[in-house]
Amino acid sequence: MSAPGTVRSDVAPLAVESVTLRFGGVTALSDVSFTVEPGAVHALIGPNGAGKSSCFNVISGLYRPTSGRVRLGEQDLTGTPPHRLAGLGVGRSFQNIALSPHSTVRDNVLLGRHPLTRGGFLAGGLRIGRRTEARHRARVEEICAFLGVADRLDSLVAALPYGVAKRVDIARALAVEPTVLLLDEPAAGLNATETAEMGVTIRDLADALGISVLLVEHDMGLVMGIADRVSVLDFGRLIADGPPEQVQADPEVVRAYLGVSE
Amino acid sequence: MSERVVTERSSVLVRLRTSWPSVAGVAVLLLVLLVFPVFAGVAYLKAGQYVLIGVVGAVGLTLLVGQAGQLSLAHPFFLLVGAVSYAVLAGDSGDSGDLVGLGLPPLLAVIGAVAICALVGLAFSPVSGRLRGIYLGVASLSLVFLGLYLGQSLDMLSGGTSTGRPPPTFDLFGFRFANSDPAPTILGVAIQKQQRLWYLFLVLAIVAYLLARGAVRSRVGRAWRAVRDNEAAATAMGVNVARAKAQAFTVSSAFAGLAGVMTALWLDLVKPDENEFIGTYSITVAISYLAMVLIGGLGSIPGAVAGAVLVNGLPQVLTLGATEFGWSIGTLSPVLISAFVYGAAIVLVVLFEPGGLAAIGRRLTTRQGDR
Repeated sequence: MSAPGTVRSDVAPLAVESVTLRFGGVTALSDVSFTVEPGAVHALIGPNGAGKSSCFNVISGLYRPTSGRVRLGEQDLTGTPPHRLAGLGVGRSFQNIALSPHSTVRDNVLLGRHPLTRGGFLAGGLRIGRRTEARHRARVEEICAFLGVADRLDSLVAALPYGVAKRVDIARALAVEPTVLLLDEPAAGLNATETAEMGVTIRDLADALGISVLLVEHDMGLVMGIADRVSVLDFGRLIADGPPEQVQADPEVVRAYLGVSE
Repeated sequence: MSERVVTERSSVLVRLRTSWPSVAGVAVLLLVLLVFPVFAGVAYLKAGQYVLIGVVGAVGLTLLVGQAGQLSLAHPFFLLVGAVSYAVLAGDSGDSGDLVGLGLPPLLAVIGAVAICALVGLAFSPVSGRLRGIYLGVASLSLVFLGLYLGQSLDMLSGGTSTGRPPPTFDLFGFRFANSDPAPTILGVAIQKQQRLWYLFLVLAIVAYLLARGAVRSRVGRAWRAVRDNEAAATAMGVNVARAKAQAFTVSSAFAGLAGVMTALWLDLVKPDENEFIGTYSITVAISYLAMVLIGGLGSIPGAVAGAVLVNGLPQVLTLGATEFGWSIGTLSPVLISAFVYGAAIVLVVLFEPGGLAAIGRRLTTRQGDR
C-alpha cells in the first residue's frame, strides 16, 4: 500500500480539557481530560452509555460542552462552528456510514475537498477552475488507492458491500487532509477479516501520514492491537488513561466492563 | 511536457471516439432547433417557446428539489415576481400614467428581474432552511397565495387583474424582438417577432441548461447533494448547511424569475391571476413544474428538460392537433387530456422507475454518469 504524500510534521496535539456536558439533570461527561498526541492512534472506549459518543460529538463541535474546552494546538475548537472544523484539520468518519448512496465513490470522496476549494454556483456553472479541480480529482484517486477502494471510484455507493463503504467513508474524511482523524466505530459491522484489515489501515494512517487518529471502538482486540494510548470512560467519568497493557490491567477498568461483586 | 500534451490529446481523441454518438445526437438536435422556425408556422413556434419556458423553470426547480432536497411549490410566485419586475423595470407609466415604470433598457431589466427573484428567494431562505419535506412544501405554497394577493392589490406594478400591463418589447443592442419591415430572412423565411423570440428563448434555455449542468458537477452540486443526503456528514466535510440551502433556494428562484420574464414575453402580457387554482401563476402551475422534475427524474438536468417537453409540450401539441387537424376525444380538452397523461406518467414513474426519464435514458445508453 503506498502512502499518499509525505509524513506530516504540522500535526498538533488534540487536548480535551476538563470537559463537562450536561443535558438537563443528566451529566453525560464529567470533567473529562485527555490528550491525543501527534501521530498517535488513541482509542476511546467504555461500556454502553459511558459517554463515548457524547465526547466525540463535543470534539467534532456538534455538542457544546457545559464547561471545559477542546483545543487543537493553539486553536480553541469549543466555540468554532462545526462546519469550520474540517478546514482546521479535523476529519471525521461515521458509525452508520453517512455517504450519499446514489452518488459515485468519486463524488462522495470529492466532497471532502470542500474546505480546500472555493467557488459557488456561477463558478461551477461557468466551469471556472477546471484545472484545480483536476488536481483535486487526482488527489482523491490517490487517497482511494491508499484505502484500497480505487477500483470502485465509479461505482454507486448503494452498490458497495458494507466493508467497502466503510472504507470510502474514511477516504472521504481523509480527503479534507486532516491532521486529526476522528473515527466513530470503524469496525462496527465488519467481519473478523475486514476488522483486521481495518486495523492495519488505521495503523498505516498514523505511521505513513503522521496524522493523529482518535477512534471510538467496541472491538477490544482491534483497540488493544493498534492503539498507542487508550482512554476509558465509565458513566461519563474518565477512569483510566494510558498504554493498552496498563489499561487492560487496571482494576477499575475490569470492574467497569465485567462488574465485580463487593 | 510534450509527452503530456500528446497523452492529453490522445485522451481527447479516445473520449471523442467513445462518445461520438452522443456528440452527433446533440449536433443533430441543435440543427433541428435552429432551423425549426424555417419549417414551422407561428402556432408551432408559440408551442415550442412555451416548452423552452418550461425548460428554464424546470431546470431551476430540479436543482432545488432534486439536488438540494428542498420541496418547493413556490415556483409560480417567482414566475410572477420575474414577470412583474421586468415590466416595471423596462416599462413606462402606461397610457393613463398610473403604472410604475422605470424605462430601463430591456436587457438590464431582465438581469434586474432575475436578480430581484434571487433576492426574494434568499429572503425566504430562513424559512426554507428550517423546514423539510411536506412542511416546506406547504410553507412555500403560501408564497403563491401571497403572490395572488400582492398581484391583485398592487396594480400600479402588476397592471391589475382586469387589463394587466403589456411587457416592454425585448431588445438587444438595438435589435428589437418585434415585427419589422423589411425583416431579415433565413432560407427565404422572414424572421419576425415569433421567430426572434424562439431564438432568444432557445439561447436562454441552453444557457440555463449549461449553467445548471456545470454547477451540478462542481463543488456546489456536491455540497447540495451532501446536504440533501446527510446534514451531519455534510457539516463534518466543511459544508455550511444553512448557506448551501439558502444558495439553492436563491439559484432556483433566479431560474424561475427568468422563466417569468419569458412567460411575460410569450403571453405579451403581464396580468395577475384572478384565483389561485387557474392561471399563469397558480397552484396548477406549481404542480406542473413538480410533475416535470418528477417525471424527468429528481435532480437530473436532462430529465428536467424531458419533463418540460412532456408537461408543457403535450397540451400545446394536442391543442394544435385539434385546431389544425381536427383531433378530438369527445368533450375532453387538450389541457385535461394532458393532465391525465402526465398524472399517469407520475404514477408510473413513482411505481416503476423512481429515477424518472433520466434513469430510463441512462439505462438505454448504458452509461453510468452523475445524476
